[in-house]
Amino acid sequence: MIAFEHVTKRYGERLALDDVTWRMDEGECAVLLGHSAAGKTTMLRLIMHETQPTSGVVTVGTFRGGRLTRAHRALLRRTIGVIYEDFRLLPDRTVYENVALSMYIAGHYTDAEVTPKVRRALEEAGLDAHRDLLPAELSFGERQRCAIARAIVMRPALILADEPTGALEPKSAAEVLSLLLRIQREGAALLVGTTRAEVANVIGGRRYVLEEGALREVTPGASPVPAPSPPRAAAASGDAPMPQSPDLFTPPATGGA
Amino acid sequence: MHPYFWREAWRSFRAHRGLAMTSMLSLIASLTLCGLFVLLDHNARQALRAIGDRREMIVYLKDEIPETELAVLMDKVRQYFGEPTYVDRKQAWQELSDQIGDPDLLSGVEDNPLPASIRVRLKPELLGFAAMEQAAQQVLEFPEVEDVRYGAEYVRRLDRFSGGVRLATWAVGAVVALAMALVLFNTLRLTVLARRHQVEVMLRLGASDRFIATPYVYEAMMHMTLAAVISLLLVFALQQVVAYRLDGVTFLPWTTSLAFIGGALAVAWVASAGALSRILRNIGS
Repeated sequence: MIAFEHVTKRYGERLALDDVTWRMDEGECAVLLGHSAAGKTTMLRLIMHETQPTSGVVTVGTFRGGRLTRAHRALLRRTIGVIYEDFRLLPDRTVYENVALSMYIAGHYTDAEVTPKVRRALEEAGLDAHRDLLPAELSFGERQRCAIARAIVMRPALILADEPTGALEPKSAAEVLSLLLRIQREGAALLVGTTRAEVANVIGGRRYVLEEGALREVTPGASPVPAPSPPRAAAASGDAPMPQSPDLFTPPATGGA
Repeated sequence: MHPYFWREAWRSFRAHRGLAMTSMLSLIASLTLCGLFVLLDHNARQALRAIGDRREMIVYLKDEIPETELAVLMDKVRQYFGEPTYVDRKQAWQELSDQIGDPDLLSGVEDNPLPASIRVRLKPELLGFAAMEQAAQQVLEFPEVEDVRYGAEYVRRLDRFSGGVRLATWAVGAVVALAMALVLFNTLRLTVLARRHQVEVMLRLGASDRFIATPYVYEAMMHMTLAAVISLLLVFALQQVVAYRLDGVTFLPWTTSLAFIGGALAVAWVASAGALSRILRNIGS
């Protein structure tokens, strides 16, 4: 499904990825662990074709390497559900409209076809009751669940989540991860980029650590996260680790909001 | 046309009312100027057509042409040049007398010196100067014909004036189209930049440029439709004022009015689609 072949990515002098060779199959679940600026987001951006590798080839489904045309990039992105740390919701649209946007972008759906699918995605995310609210009227956790509903409404084969719990307090984080796991169990491949080992513990699946641009697979239980990131960088980027809590990341019994 | 695009266009129209008003005022000013020239052209053409209707060619005949030959000549003229009217010598003398009015002035003339003639109301395609000149040359080839007159200089000036008005209308139309394209480009650029965050999110969700651009193109069409209708109303009001003082000034026929709106919409569509493709490329991937 996704294959990196000797991929190197540089931003000027800084090396973000160094000769990374890696693959991920359909329905698989994987976590990219690494401190801030380790290259997790770069990998996700390469998969989304938001940036190009300095060298090497990235293949996603049938889209192989090279610089895709704008039309092909759009087509590729329609097959992927993406969840960002900062949600990227449209502030002047209701929750319903934000989720429906993915379906309108996919095209070929009438309003009558859009409504039941959006309502279903919102129910799965536990947000149907809030469908007429604007993002600003939601808590951070609800906003992230709205972003997840938007990502899953088209039932994509691949879901990318970039620090999905980064801005959330523990209870919301647990709910969001529970939701992502439920979707993955339905058959979608799930790739999560995070700085937190706790997230990787909850998600399970294959675990990779990014360090100094290099990617290596680690077994659960080993200490995966490399040397702690410099406090300055973590604080500046807002990626400071979430405080631990006894019930953190325990999926709620109801499995929803 | 998915209703989503219209909803988005209307949402953007409402969200950027100030920008929409500024854009529409500029478009109204441009379109009103263009409309005035279209109105001038329309009325100039009408006037020229009225004058053109009076254009005729006078074919002077040699003396004593047999009736059979005259009939053949009339048939040929009818076939190739236009509707002929025969004026015999006596009739010509009578017309001259009527024009002069005072019979004493002609009392000294013993014999009627005027030749018989054929007045030809030319076919529409022969009303231009070049065509008339060529027709006159051809008519002169007939052995029964003595001379041909058609007011060459007058026709030439009339044609030149008519061509000038038409050229001015096209030139103003082209300048106005360019001005409208610039207004739309800047309006759309500001609108899209104001919604840059939205556009970026949509690009990341896999929206094609066409999907993103369509509501903005519709919005530009909405601006242009309103501006074209308002400018036509302004031109109509002006025509009414002028017609009150000057007889014969008429408003544009409904077909021309529709073509005016259609032309404006075509400019809006081409300009906005072109502008958006450029603007979206600059926003990035």
